[in-house]
Amino acid sequence: MTKEELVAYIGSHFEGKLTPVETGKFDPWFEIKPDDLLEVMQKLHDDNSLKFDFLCNLSGVDTGEHFEVAYSLASIGLKHRMDVKLSLPYEGAEVESVQKIWAGANWHEREAWELYGINFKNHGNLTRFLLPDEWDQGHPMRKDWDGPDFVRLPEV
Amino acid sequence: MQGLRTEEFQVNMGPHHPSTHGVCRMVLTMDGERVLKIEPVIGYLHRAIEKVCENRTYVQCLPLMDRFEYVTSMATNQVFSMAAEKLGGVEVPERAEYLRVIMVELNRIASHLLFYGVTAMDIGAYTPFLYGLRERELIIDLFEETCGQRLTYNYIRIGGVSKDILPGFEQRCRKALDTIEAKLVEYEGLLNENPIWLARTKGIGILPAETAIAYGASGPVLRASGVDYDVRRDDPYSIYHKLDWKVPTQKSGDCFDRYMQRLDEIRVSIKIIRQALDGLPEGEFKAKVSPKFKPAPGECYNRIESARGEMGCHLISNGGPKPLRVKLRGSSYNNLQVLPAFGANCMIADLVAIFATLDVILPEVDR
Amino acid sequence: MGVVKKVPYYLEKFPGGGMVATSLECVLKNAQAASVWYLLFGTACCAIELMCTGASRFDFDRLGMIFRPTPRQADLIIAAGTITKKMAPRLRRLYDQMAEPRYVIAMGGCTVKGGPFYYDSYAVEKGIDHIVPVDVYIPGCPPRPESLLEGCLTLQKKIKSQKLPDWHEK
Repeated sequence: MTKEELVAYIGSHFEGKLTPVETGKFDPWFEIKPDDLLEVMQKLHDDNSLKFDFLCNLSGVDTGEHFEVAYSLASIGLKHRMDVKLSLPYEGAEVESVQKIWAGANWHEREAWELYGINFKNHGNLTRFLLPDEWDQGHPMRKDWDGPDFVRLPEV
Repeated sequence: MQGLRTEEFQVNMGPHHPSTHGVCRMVLTMDGERVLKIEPVIGYLHRAIEKVCENRTYVQCLPLMDRFEYVTSMATNQVFSMAAEKLGGVEVPERAEYLRVIMVELNRIASHLLFYGVTAMDIGAYTPFLYGLRERELIIDLFEETCGQRLTYNYIRIGGVSKDILPGFEQRCRKALDTIEAKLVEYEGLLNENPIWLARTKGIGILPAETAIAYGASGPVLRASGVDYDVRRDDPYSIYHKLDWKVPTQKSGDCFDRYMQRLDEIRVSIKIIRQALDGLPEGEFKAKVSPKFKPAPGECYNRIESARGEMGCHLISNGGPKPLRVKLRGSSYNNLQVLPAFGANCMIADLVAIFATLDVILPEVDR
Repeated sequence: MGVVKKVPYYLEKFPGGGMVATSLECVLKNAQAASVWYLLFGTACCAIELMCTGASRFDFDRLGMIFRPTPRQADLIIAAGTITKKMAPRLRRLYDQMAEPRYVIAMGGCTVKGGPFYYDSYAVEKGIDHIVPVDVYIPGCPPRPESLLEGCLTLQKKIKSQKLPDWHEK
């Protein structure tokens, strides 16, 4: 499907759960609430005209005011692409894990937990991943993190 | 041997091991020689590139991108530059697009030649290592005369490429391609019908297509399992849609198919480069981009096909001179994640062959 | 090496014995420098240049250096690539497993002082010389194979100029 058809299809089939975000000439971006995540993702995966069976990327983001989790999806058979993101507050950042839909989300979510502190419910294995075993300095990718090895370079 | 008590035990493979390409540690649960469960433990090369990128300007980030995936560093430069160009609305001149394609495809050939040498060395044959690296030096000479570096090029910049090619590059490039194409026949003759090679790789480590798609594996690993998907053709970028080339696939997804897939991709890349050299237009090689490049606020996820699979860059800008978030999606991250799902229940020597044909580069996994 | 240790002490008692002892030392040291076997230890980008130096065009074998996969059979660690905090204890352990005389070459900017990750990487060891004692530093990112060969020749010169340990004690 082309980008316009995709946006129109999603607008008519998802009861307003996916709100489009204006992006200009990039692939379509949509916003979603954390509570609707599993249901919408399952439908995006199973629907016959969408068939998003390939999870390209799952990234945790710290915008300075809140956390975000961004999912990039693609379809192998129908060759279209879209992105979905959701916002989480700093305190109690929790969202469901999508690894039952795409098994490849396992490591991406584990990394987002370790570097940001976003909790993924029903993940099963949120343990030490990239950082050294004896790491005790918190979640390093947060914007307000400061450690002994981190020198903030001056603004240009 | 009846009544002999056996039990499972755990063996550590890595992080320093001659066959793990880099520092990958795998905790293997074994029953004798048979591997029952594999658990990769990574993080031994976590250099915090993403945090460092948030501390640098866009132009200062580019050399760091080279270190993210150093065997195909032209492709990593390209994925970041394209993402920044999308956000900043920069138009890349036509000549620069052609030069980018030539360099990225040459880099793909160099990476597959390195794969050929190192995989054969892991499985036990030492001669292909010397042959593969000898031909790779021809390509490295071409890169060195263009941008001065042998490994981490920093050639593809935001807005184009950093330098124009020298006069005579075209002849030297065509000569190198002819040599490599002739030598490929030799390489295949050395290994393809060798009974030891076939016994070590045919029927070993079969990756089913559904498992590969569910785990997000991409690139030659996915195409060797029979899935016909290539980001250059299916999500086109740059000038690939103007050139005439076909995506090769294999049938069964075992180690031999993954090896043959990469040799076929070398041939496809040679074809693409020849067409790009024929159609190289005159013109500017770089658009004007200031060192204090400030793209408009927004985010985009840009993906390209690198030698190992789909490489992506999720770039978020808040209008300032430094990026807000740079998330790099390496193809080896998902390719390694699929290993426990299909690599168990094999002998430990087969595990070495499977890991070698997955062609994992650790900095893509650890960043 | 117990009996060999006593050889120069007794040799020097004879006329011209001191000259024999130093020539023996010279022969031994030249032999040692001509066959330094290195451990295959490459973490990051410099490992590819190390492999290229060992391959067809720039050959390591002509200096007598071949790679060994285990530290028990190696004389030299060429630490090629960034060493992170998670990997540092493993490097120390490999160094401890080598038999003396053992040498370390720090190849590449990351092992010298942290390289491009010096200011703001929270997980990189800024230089390996506080983990293992380093004999030769090779700057570059990554250093060319010619630089690496020059570094190995410097190491050979250093080996030839050292005295054998305990050779001149009683």
